[in-house]
Amino acid sequence: MHEISICYQIVETLEDVVKENHLEEVQKIVLEIGELANVVPMYMYECFPCAVEGTMFEKAELVIETVAGIGECKKCGNKYQLFPVEGICPLCGEKDFELISGREFNIKEIVAR
Amino acid sequence: MKTFKVMEVKRSIFENNDRQADILRQRLKKDKVFLLNLMSSPGSGKTTTLMQTIQALKDEMRIGVMEADIDSDVDASKIATSGVKVIQLHTGGMCHLDADMTKQGLEGLGTNEIDLAILENVGNLVCPAEFDTGAVKNAMILSVPEGDDKPLKYPLMFSICDVLLVNKMDTLSVFDFDLKACEERVKKLNPNIKVIPISAKTGEGMEEWIIWLRKQVNEWKDR
Repeated sequence: MHEISICYQIVETLEDVVKENHLEEVQKIVLEIGELANVVPMYMYECFPCAVEGTMFEKAELVIETVAGIGECKKCGNKYQLFPVEGICPLCGEKDFELISGREFNIKEIVAR
Repeated sequence: MKTFKVMEVKRSIFENNDRQADILRQRLKKDKVFLLNLMSSPGSGKTTTLMQTIQALKDEMRIGVMEADIDSDVDASKIATSGVKVIQLHTGGMCHLDADMTKQGLEGLGTNEIDLAILENVGNLVCPAEFDTGAVKNAMILSVPEGDDKPLKYPLMFSICDVLLVNKMDTLSVFDFDLKACEERVKKLNPNIKVIPISAKTGEGMEEWIIWLRKQVNEWKDR
């Protein structure tokens, strides 16, 4: 449900990029999506063909790069991946952390001419 | 023929929506219309709270309501009995409203005859938080039966709201809801949020909410 509207947002943003750069064809679209961004990449791949149907991105390949959710422990300063440990610092057991990465939700690059 | 090359884009996927939301807010400012985006999970008492809010304010300002749902018009029919202008927006299966849908809704409502437009967003604590609707302020309702742990589970929603109404306070004695713990969790995510415990059923706390909302509407129009 959520992923399809995100795919439409991507199409709209890319249409601007195409216009600004006078592009003729887009071959590949690379997204970077953080582990904590509330999006399931598998569903994105499934929704994408529907969203691009009838647009100039119809034949473009979608690639999603996942960005790990990393936190810095507020107690001991350890940097660790949040997901496998449910946010708890594996060194000292502290729950409080500063989020360093993982909420990314960007169109990283495209391959176009 | 030009050759294919890699072009760095580095744009947020939400950028387009965020821009449309800003344009909509500027237009609302010009038209002196205050848009409130009301969000919550299903069954938290949004419609009942809205009915009480309309009763309290309808004699001093012109109110319009947009009811966003995946399907049906039960909420819109109920709101219509209060005598204010209401339109039903069907999201067609989508779990939230974006700025463009909100703009279309406002056009349907006719903003030149309205001081306060209230958008009752789809009942959902996840994606409505990610899509800026163009609202001047975001309000959220969390009801006592849902539990005081919701700020831990849906942090983004609590961090983007300006005011949190903790509804169904009249049921506090039958649920393990710790208001103080809830408030601490919310303030940690969002130190500037205003937390108002209410019961739309008994009227408890409603006055404080009405005063807050009235102040926001007037400041938006005057400034």
